Amino acid sequence: MNTPTNPNQASDRSLEAMRHFSETYAKRSGTYFCVDPGVTAVVIEGLAKHKDELGSPLCPCRHYEDKHAEAAAAYWNCPCVPMRERKECHCMLFLTPDNDFAGDKQEISFEQVRGVTNQS
Amino acid sequence: MSAAAQVTDSTFEQEVLESNVPVLVDFWAPWCGPCRMVAPVVDEIAEQYAGQVKVVKVNTDENPNVASRYGIRSIPTLMIFKEGQRVDMVVGAVPKTTLASTLEKYL
Repeated sequence: MNTPTNPNQASDRSLEAMRHFSETYAKRSGTYFCVDPGVTAVVIEGLAKHKDELGSPLCPCRHYEDKHAEAAAAYWNCPCVPMRERKECHCMLFLTPDNDFAGDKQEISFEQVRGVTNQS
Repeated sequence: MSAAAQVTDSTFEQEVLESNVPVLVDFWAPWCGPCRMVAPVVDEIAEQYAGQVKVVKVNTDENPNVASRYGIRSIPTLMIFKEGQRVDMVVGAVPKTTLASTLEKYL
């Protein structure tokens, strides 16, 4: 595993946990990753970073007044309530097959994620 | 390099609210996937409307005051300001045509 090169990146351990979760959840929910794997990679890095900082994978595609309070409230912890109830992921991590941006993949490697986020 | 300048909590007033031309503000965050998709669209808009519209970006993680003041929730949020007032916004990774037609209303 390659070490994070950017202080905004997550620990390898959390990144691997969230990468694995994302693959499993995509398969379980019948959703697909974005046709642009760069989108998938940055979201997984963001979830892992929040897991490091907050203990929970809070959605990285929202702004919060208080991240710790939001993580405790759990509504926007991935998979968030809109995803679980209606398969709505505005972060574009989990896309239903009818979405214009849905690709055909439910897998992404650790190296693929870091290949993108090392450049960001 | 992006055609859109970054503005901060401390420069927002001067760069956005006191601008003589309408301003498109891209509220983004570092690990937001759809922000990555909308960024090139925002850059194209900046080039296409150069001189007519000012296009800037706000990192919501680093500038929580501006983000909170305008009630930013879902990211990306693209907001249009004219004469110091917020006049419109679109949320999410929208196509260029959607953004352009929203912007045209304020030129």
